[in-house]
Amino acid sequence: MANEEEVLINIDDVSKWYGEVQALDRISLEIHREDVSVICGPSGCGKSTLLRCINGLEEFQQGDVIVDGVSVKEVQNTKKIYKLRSKIGMVFQHFELYPHLTALENITLAPRKVFNMSKKEAREKGMELLKRVGIPEQAEKKPGELSGGQQQRVGIARAIAMDPQTIMFDEPTSALDPEMIRDVLEVMADLAEGGLTMIVVTHEMGFAKEVADEIVFMEDGQVVEHEGVETFFKNPESERAKEFVDRVLVHIK
Amino acid sequence: MGYQFDWGVIVREPYWHWLLNGFFKTLILGSISWGIALFLGVIIGTIRTLPIKTARAIGKIYVEFFRNIPLLVQLFFWYYVIPPMVGQWFNRMQNLPWIMAIFGLGVYTASRVAEHIRSGLNSVPRGQRHAGLSTGLSNFQLYRHIIIPYGFRLMIPPITTEFLTVFKNSALAMTIGVLELSGQSYKIGTWTFHSFESITAAVIGYLIIGLSVIGFMGWVEERLKIPGLLGGE
Amino acid sequence: MGLDLSVISRNSTVLLGGFYTTIKLFALALAGGLPLGILLGLGRLSSRKWIYYPVSAYINFIRNVPLLMVIFWIYFALPIVTGHNIGRLPSAIVAFIVFEATYFGEIIRAGFQSVKKGEMQAAYSTGLTYTQVVRYILIPIGLRRVIPSLMTQTIVIFQDTSLAYVIGLREFVRASTVVNAREVRSLEIFGFVAVVYLVICLAGSMISNRLEVEGE
Repeated sequence: MANEEEVLINIDDVSKWYGEVQALDRISLEIHREDVSVICGPSGCGKSTLLRCINGLEEFQQGDVIVDGVSVKEVQNTKKIYKLRSKIGMVFQHFELYPHLTALENITLAPRKVFNMSKKEAREKGMELLKRVGIPEQAEKKPGELSGGQQQRVGIARAIAMDPQTIMFDEPTSALDPEMIRDVLEVMADLAEGGLTMIVVTHEMGFAKEVADEIVFMEDGQVVEHEGVETFFKNPESERAKEFVDRVLVHIK
Repeated sequence: MGYQFDWGVIVREPYWHWLLNGFFKTLILGSISWGIALFLGVIIGTIRTLPIKTARAIGKIYVEFFRNIPLLVQLFFWYYVIPPMVGQWFNRMQNLPWIMAIFGLGVYTASRVAEHIRSGLNSVPRGQRHAGLSTGLSNFQLYRHIIIPYGFRLMIPPITTEFLTVFKNSALAMTIGVLELSGQSYKIGTWTFHSFESITAAVIGYLIIGLSVIGFMGWVEERLKIPGLLGGE
Repeated sequence: MGLDLSVISRNSTVLLGGFYTTIKLFALALAGGLPLGILLGLGRLSSRKWIYYPVSAYINFIRNVPLLMVIFWIYFALPIVTGHNIGRLPSAIVAFIVFEATYFGEIIRAGFQSVKKGEMQAAYSTGLTYTQVVRYILIPIGLRRVIPSLMTQTIVIFQDTSLAYVIGLREFVRASTVVNAREVRSLEIFGFVAVVYLVICLAGSMISNRLEVEGE
């Protein structure tokens, strides 16, 4: 159900080099509000790099990314980048929870420091979010005491806590044992249903088929294909995409 | 020529009192210097990891300067060279040796702490930075709430060693006239000609301090421990 | 208030003499400390309790005590123990060997521990004795691994020699205070001493870094 009118993120001809090596090659994409966009492709094709360019964690040399009207290139090295980042949530492959803080503290840190929320208010909100992702009883535990699936759900709660306009997921289930993948995907599907704009880098094509609105297929730093989910799976254009879909569909059945 | 041991020297007045006095002076000297060292060391260690070249350079110069000159020479500098330059009023101050000893020991130890902090901060996984920044934290907030607490905990073992070392280095203060534990033991020796006994007593004093520091840092490590990472389950 | 650098050249004999003593103390401390350090390192890895416990006790004891105290202690203890008057330099040398060997010992122990068990077992299986395995396998491999740390400790020892000041040994720092007592130009004199140490130790660090890079 792509909402054609509202473009939230406009990635305009972005290219990035690490020294001599080109990581992103003239990427142009539009992410629409309430859409779930899945980015997939072989390892090293630049998917994670692209995500980090969107919220300014990495710098890019050419092109620009406009998020809700704000140019990332412009605000990159200014204080305004902090505000931009608070509007974009991010969930990481290796969870990246702060190990010295409890699950609840992980979630409440940014709202308290960036929004100046009171400790009480933040805790209430944090507990609500923990309930939403299904693990309120883990609130006072430290990440080292949690399973991978639990940690990732805390990571998702931490991202939601800032009420972002979109959340980017960087291979959120790649580091999880199979039993836990389903729990996390369920939380994500839930969020999608609630209308959250999501950008998901993943290999979980089953999830893509069920939940995504559009698929972006990348290879060697380029966008090779970009179309609606149904079209992609039924009738991919490029050879590479066809290969990829065939291989993946065998797995899903 | 036989040497007559006289172990009673240590427990007799006024010598016993002198020893005790020295012991507590060592404790205070070490602790205050350590406080200075931690404070300065975290700052310098942190600026050595910042992406600003001049900041890193300043940090490096500080560390190399204080690391490559013997502490003894540094103390002489602080006591003999600097005070007259500040002014005669300063040079004549009553507690000058005490103050300069604390200061000198503090800034010296800070250079060592800074290196450990730098190592710790650099060992914090990059993903932590990304995670913190991605929620909109400013660089300052990121450092204050995530990087420094995490990095510091990584470095507790070497920092414990530095804490031990600061008490050992405090012995040098006797060369600029501070009557801490080693100074007192030496003084008792010159009064009684039983230096061996008084020095042995001082050595025991340092052992007690050393064991206490290790015990204390063990407690600190326990309180700060991160389960799943450092010494936790 | 101008800088009078000639005070250094005027007193160069005294200063040089002190520096020479520093070098002597340094070299002998190293020459004695390293071999003893190797023995201590081996001792800490020994499975024989009658070796392990005394060695560990000794190392832990010394590491908790300031070098200054060890220097004093040895200086006052040696005459008592031996019944003769021992000079300042020999006292200092003994104190340094006794002290620094423990630090070397721990570094070397780490180096030895990094030698894979398999390599040692292979050597034993060819019929070599303990001493031979230590000499031809453990030491060459283990020591090489920790050369950077050993070098850092060596630089520390060079600075530590200044502590012999407290028993009146006329090493570099003591020599400079003697000169200062006469000339009262503390900034120039102590500044000179600081610069000399700074240059030598920085050079040592650079060599150590070079060795570390080449070692990889």
